Parts: sequence; C-alpha cells; structure tokens
Amino acid sequence: MIKNLRYVLLLPALVFALAPVYWMLTISLKTEVDQFASPPPWFVFTPTLQHYYDAFVTRAFGQYLITSAVVAVTSTACALVIGTAAAYGLARFQLPWRLNRRLSLWILSTRMFPAIVTAVPLFLMMRDVRLLNTRASLIIVYTAFNLPFVVWMMHGFFADLPRDLEEAALVDGDSRLGALVRVVLPLVAPGLAATAVFCLIVSWNEFLFALVLTQTDAAMTLPVGIAGRVTQYEIKWGVMSAAASVAIVPILVFALALQKYLVRGLSLGAVKG
Amino acid sequence: MPKSRRFFNAPRRRSKHELLLPALFIAPALLVLLALSIYPLIYSITISLQQETASGVKWGLGNFARLVSDNFFLTAMAHTFVYAAAALTCEFLLGLGLALLLNKQIRGRGLFRASLLVPMMLPTVVVGVVWRLMLNPNFGALNGTLKQFGINTESLTWTASPRLAMLSVIAVDVWQWTPFVFLVLLAGLQAIPQEPYEAALIDGSSRWQTFWHVTLPLLKPSILIVLLLRTMDLLRVFDQIFILTEGGPGFATETISLYIYRTAFRFFDFGYAAAMSFVLLALTNVISAIYIRFLQAKEAA
Amino acid sequence: MGIKFQNVTKTFGGVSVVDDLSLEINDGEFVVLLGPSGCGKTTTLRMLAGLETVTSGDIYIDGERINDVPTQHRDLAMVFQSYALYPHMTIAENIGYPLRVRKVQKAERLERVSRVAAMLEIESLLERKPRQLSGGERQRVALARAIVREPRAYLMDEPLSNLDARLRVQMRGELKRLQHQLGTTTIYVTHDQAEAMTLASRVAVMKKGRLQQFDTPMNIYNHPANRFVAEFVGSPSMNFIEGEVEAGTFVSDSLRIPLNADQLRKLSGQSRWTMGIRPEHIQVLAEPYDGAIAATVYVTELMGNETFVFLSVGANRLIARAPADFRAELESKVWLQLAIEKVHFFPQRREDAKKE
Ligand SMILES: Nc1ncnc2c1ncn2[C@@H]1O[C@H](COP(=O)(O)OP(=O)(O)O)[C@@H](O)[C@H]1O
Ligand SMILES: [Mg+2]
Repeated sequence: MIKNLRYVLLLPALVFALAPVYWMLTISLKTEVDQFASPPPWFVFTPTLQHYYDAFVTRAFGQYLITSAVVAVTSTACALVIGTAAAYGLARFQLPWRLNRRLSLWILSTRMFPAIVTAVPLFLMMRDVRLLNTRASLIIVYTAFNLPFVVWMMHGFFADLPRDLEEAALVDGDSRLGALVRVVLPLVAPGLAATAVFCLIVSWNEFLFALVLTQTDAAMTLPVGIAGRVTQYEIKWGVMSAAASVAIVPILVFALALQKYLVRGLSLGAVKG
Repeated sequence: MPKSRRFFNAPRRRSKHELLLPALFIAPALLVLLALSIYPLIYSITISLQQETASGVKWGLGNFARLVSDNFFLTAMAHTFVYAAAALTCEFLLGLGLALLLNKQIRGRGLFRASLLVPMMLPTVVVGVVWRLMLNPNFGALNGTLKQFGINTESLTWTASPRLAMLSVIAVDVWQWTPFVFLVLLAGLQAIPQEPYEAALIDGSSRWQTFWHVTLPLLKPSILIVLLLRTMDLLRVFDQIFILTEGGPGFATETISLYIYRTAFRFFDFGYAAAMSFVLLALTNVISAIYIRFLQAKEAA
Repeated sequence: MGIKFQNVTKTFGGVSVVDDLSLEINDGEFVVLLGPSGCGKTTTLRMLAGLETVTSGDIYIDGERINDVPTQHRDLAMVFQSYALYPHMTIAENIGYPLRVRKVQKAERLERVSRVAAMLEIESLLERKPRQLSGGERQRVALARAIVREPRAYLMDEPLSNLDARLRVQMRGELKRLQHQLGTTTIYVTHDQAEAMTLASRVAVMKKGRLQQFDTPMNIYNHPANRFVAEFVGSPSMNFIEGEVEAGTFVSDSLRIPLNADQLRKLSGQSRWTMGIRPEHIQVLAEPYDGAIAATVYVTELMGNETFVFLSVGANRLIARAPADFRAELESKVWLQLAIEKVHFFPQRREDAKKE
C-alpha cells in the first residue's frame, strides 16, 4: 500500500523531469507544420532531420560546436595540470604558517565569487589585451574558473591515498617525481577522470563569461550561439531545438558515466573545511 | 598514528630549499588565481570608484551613492530575494520529499535517480530553450495539453505576462535544481546508520516522531550545505532568466545579475556595474558566513 | 654494514618521541627494537629510512653520516606494517619496482624477480594484483620486494602483526632462516617480546623514546637492566614484590626471604627494594616444607603442557609455572619454594610504589 503510494508520487516527478526535454527533442525533429499544430503532437508526427541540417550545415552551429569542444577540452587540460600539482603540494608537503589549510580555503573561496562580479572586470581586461572574441580568452577564464574545483577534488583524493605507498616508493629508490608519476597518479586516475569530466561539463555549459567575451561567429560557443537565436525577433524553433539537443548529448553521456562522483563533485567537497 | 604525519617531512640536502619543491607545485595555481580572480576584483574596485562626467573622470563613492536612489537597483534586489526565497523553499521541500521517497530499496530506483538528474545536468541555456518551447502561449506543450483537458489558457501567457513571468522563472529553477537538492539529501540520508532508527523503533516512536527527532537532526549538515550552495546560486541567477525573459516583460523578472549585465554591456557604465557587483558579493559573503557559522556550530555540538 | 645512532632525538611539536638514542649495530646483525606501542620504534626506523627528519644527533651507515641524504639514496629496503604494496601493479611489477627505478635491464629484472619469487614460494602469484592475495601472501610479496636487490640493510616495521597467530609463528621462523641465508643487517620493530626473543641477535628495549637495554635475548631475559625490561620480557610476566631489607632478610607483608651474602652486598645503601622473580623460579608444593612460604591458590590455568598457578601471599599476588599434572582446589593451601639465586632486585621508585 505504502509502496504503491511511493510510485504514485514518484512517477509524476519522473514525467515532470523528463517531459520538457523530450518535448524539445520532438520539436527538433518536427516539420514546421507539426511544430505549431494544436493539440500538440507528443508522439505522432513525421520526423525530419532538416533542422539539424539547417543548424550545422547551413548556419554556423557547426563552428560553435567546434569552439565549445576546443575551449572545454583545452581549459580542462590546463586546469587539471595546474590544479593537480597544487593539490598534491597542499596535500603532501608540510608548509609553514599553517599555509596548507589557509591556501586551500583561499583557493576554494575564489570559486564562490558570483560570475557577474568577475565578468565585468574580465571583459575590460580582455579588451585591454585585445583578446575579446578569441577562444584564448575563454580558455584562460575557464581554466581559472575550474582551478579551485580541481584543487579541492584532487586534494581529497590525494589525502585518501595512504602515504605508505609513496614512502615505499622512495625507500625502493624512486625519486619524488618518479613516485608521483609511477605510483600516485595511476592510483588517483579514476578521481582525475571524474574531475576532468566535471570540468568539461562546466566549461561546456558555461554561458555568462562566453556571452560577455565572445560575440563573433568565429569565437562564440554553442550556448551563446543558441541564446543568440532565442532572443532574435523571428525565432527558428526547429534550428534552436536541434542545436540545443546536440548540446546536451555529451553532457548526458558524461553524467551517466559519473553518477558515483556526482554528490562529491556538485557539493564541491561541501565547504567542510 | 596521528593524522598530521606529513610524508614530506623527509630530509632534503639543504634546508634552505625545503620550500622550493612545494612552491613549484603550488605556485602556478596561485598565480593563475591571483591574475584571474583577485586582480579582477581589484580592477573592479578601482573602476567602481570612478565616474565618467562631462569634465572627465571623477574619483569617489559616487557610484555607491547612486545605488540608494536607483529604483531599478532596488527593484532588482527585491526580485532577487523573492526569486531566491521562493525557489529555495520549493526546491528544499520537494527535494527532501523525493529523497525520503527514494531512500528505500524499491524497484527501478536507479532509473528514477538517473532520470531525475537530467534537468540539473543540462546547460542553463538549453533549460531556457526547453521552457520557452514548453511555455510558449501559442504552440507550447503546456498550454496545448491544458487545452486538451478543457482548461481555458487564454490568460496563461506565462513568461510574456507581467503577472506570471516571475512565477514561471521560479518554476523553471525549481525544475532544474530540485534534483540537486534531492541528490545531496539522498546521499545524506544514506549515510545515516541504521542503529538510531532501530533504537527509535524499539522505543516505540511513531514515524513522524522518528523523522523529527532522528532523521532531521542527523541530516542537518547535509541540509545546511545544500541550502548554502543553492542560496549562493540563486542570488547570482542569470542564465535561465536571460534566455527566458531577458528580465522582462518590462523589468518584471530583472534580478541583480541581469541589471548589472544591462548596466555594463548595454549602457557601458562599467563603474556603476562594478559598484553593484560589490553589493552582490558582500551579500553572498554575509549569507554564506552565516550558514558556515551554523554548520560549524552543529559540528562543535 | 654497520649502522650507528648517536644521541638521536626526535621531537614532534616539543614532545620528545625519541630521546637521546645511541645504538651501534654491527654488520649482519639482526636487531629487534622492542617496546610498547607508542614508544618511538617506528619513528626510529623512519628516521633511519629518511622518512622523518632527525631533530638532533647523527645517524651513520658504514661510517657515513646520512642525516641529510634523501631516502632514495640511502639504499635501504623496508617492509611496512601495511606492506604498502602498489595496488595498481601486478605482484611481479611490485617486486621488480626497486629494480625498475634503478634502470636494471628488463631481462635481468625478470630473472631476479623469479629468483626471489621462487625463494619465497610465490611464483604462482606473479601475475595477480595485491588485492587478490591473502594476508600471508601479501607479507611474502612485501618481503620479496625488499630482498630483490641487495640493500645495505632491511628495515621491518611490525611485518608480522597483521597475520594470524599460526602464520605469524611460521613466518617468524622463515624470516630467521632468510636473514641467516642473506646475512644482511636487519632492524626489526615489534611490540611482541616473543618475536624479539626468537629473532634477534640483539634486542633494544625502548620505553617512552628512551633506550632501556641493548643486549642479547638471553641477557635481556636473565639480567634485565631495570624493572621495565624485566616486566616487558617474558610471559607470563615476572612477579614483583615491594619490600624492605631488614637484617639480612627481604621483608614484605607476610613474606620473609633470607638473602645470601652476595645479594646483601648489592642491596646495601638503600632499604626499599622491589624483588622480581620469574614464574618458572617458583616451585609450588602441596606439603609444608622447611623454609617454604605459605600461599593460597587463587586460580589455576591449564595450558596443556604446563599449568599457571595464581597465588596470594598475604597482600601479594604471584604467578608460578607448575607441571601439567599439577592439581589444586581454589583457596587451598600450598607452599612455595623460591629459587633465591634467580631473584632480581630493583630499586623502588615512587612510580612503582604507586602502582601497588
Ligand atoms: N608525525 C607525528 N606528529 C606528532 N606525533 C607523532 C608523529 N609521529 C609519531 N608521533 C608520536 O610519537 C610517538 C611514537 O610513535 P611511533 O614511533 O609510531 O611509536 P611505535 O612505533 O613505537 O608504536 C607516539 O606517541 C606518536 O603519537
Ligand atoms: Mg609503530
């Protein structure tokens, strides 16, 4: 009885969560006639790939897609290298003046700034160094944006790793860097991968910085491209839905791969301090 | 063995160089953050203290003085608070409810969990697109479906209606972020050991009493953390509203981030935008400090 | 290869964990650091390995001062209490790791790995990962990783403490044979006195960071330097009786023990002493006997090959070892014969008196 009640409550939640996304997918596959039909056809319509062709071949969405991918991958790689090194340093070296804890907290706190607060000065800084409307500007900004997250996550993984293993490697005659490369990194590889995926998702989804820093077809990311279509007067619903549908594919793939780490990642190690 | 045992306590050839290696590891990250988080803040402070006037740049607190009498600013603040409070309440109650429902071994739990996660993983821009399609008064799925059930949808213009626009953007946030609240609380619930429940059962407490005296107190850290993170995000909301309404109709859904954006990138008044962004920064800092105080008090207790 | 600790002190935040330790270990010796948990054994070993800095004093290997030599250049091998096997490598890769980082050619590496694997009878495990191994097997792998090269010394930190009792005894024997075979200096840390007695050529007993005695197992057992060593070594533990020397007799409560001239000479100058006697030096008799001490049986524990008899003599409690066929009712009267020449005397300190 109670068990069935559970389903009665959960099923609507499920429908409510998924139906809107499904609806967007159908719009991207519908002819204009079906798009505006009333009552709205949820299931029965003649599918077409025309909007996908329009978006990615006729229009510049293909280019936005490439920009998004390049920016996300490059900035993630940079953040991982710089952030993992810092996390290792903070987790394994004893620094004076309680710097380990202080620096960790300071690094984390930079992640707490509202994006709009840094967006305004970053726009002006990028304008000053003539990097507006370049992929480089986004790569730089996303690297900095993801860095605190990488440090925080990897710090946790390093701290969980028994010290014995590195000590054994040193006694066995390996150098510190050798121990890092041959013993430590292989062991935190799953955590590193999870962290990378989070950074990719965040960079892929990011909107405000991209909106502020890139306004040309050559430099804008997929979200900015989609948003540009939405706020136009004459909206191409099919094209927009097609682009949006493509934008969610990598996210869904990654999210499924990552369920295990989701809570830890999303709550950012949760300010436990 | 004490936790504080540090691996690289180990000797080095020269103690002068003891800090060289850690510095090599940590410095790049610090430099990046100094250049791209701290320097922008300082930059922002300097421009917030400058006002462009006919006679050139004037230094002072003029931009901050303007805030007090700027109705757009005050309304945007009000919108931000309404938005944050309403969305936080709904997301928390719904998320807690879902977490309690799914904190049992039931068939299809994995499927439920995975599906509920979809909204929060989406790019906010896509969320905006999805809900523009759903809420469109003419061909949107929502009104179309309501019509099928014989409901008069003529006045339900959602994001285009000054009356319903705020409600709509709040609903969209609830749609997207309730899963996050749910996920964190579910993890919190699953971390609670079984013994307190068994003890409560033996003591003869009712379901409701058990929830109130066992579950809630033990879940409190998770609750505080999720409320903290959501509050921070809600106060700075930008993306979805920008796509859904651009702050409109009129200025009915203009929150503080949107107003800062409009000031900086439509009117190019960067000084004033910077001044406002400091108010937002101060606000989020104060609120997070309060939460963290609570959190630490709970841990100490 | 000789190892020398010279006035070595280690403090953590002002607390001395190892206090003025001086210890000279000869080439090829098997030295056991013995002491209760927390007495600084691991810290001593880690300082030798270079995993912990030395606060003051010097450590020498083969006459070379190594305080500032980084771990990887000290050429030692260590078996960790947790074994510290690399979880992502196969057993063969684990054992070969010290060779790999020394750039030993692959062919030679494989050859040497299979040689030690054969020696420790773990050839069949070489392709597995550590988590697929039992505790005893992991222990052997850790040992194999240590002996695959010829380090200047082996350091072992309670290597057997995670094994069950039977396996521990078996490995103990094998370790002893192995060290004999290899002849490499070994420093072995344990809190188990039986392990120390069976393995060591010399035992260093530590207490609260201070060295108490450094001697052969026989001397440690027969001539303990102080009450702590006497109590810590031997099972069941030595009996202690507080008392005074009065007119050629040791007097405690109802107990009077006449002393010989030799003992009296040693005990002159101070009147309060603690007498120590090992359980095997107390003979329990069913009949009164001339000079025997009357006692009451508190409880007896049958061990199979012998019997432990717990006795009360006035306010004193004693343990004696009796033959396996010894029988006595609880609370029955018995008579004790002490082997006076085997008795130890320790000056009484305030802290000893408090314990009573
Ligand atoms: N890194 C450290 N910081 C502070 N105290 C430590 C550290 N390492 C060990 N100690 C302390 O030093 C003492 C001796 O530790 P240890 O050498 O591990 O003892 P043992 O191996 O004899 O059990 C213990 O009281 C322990 O708490
Ligand atoms: Mg120890």
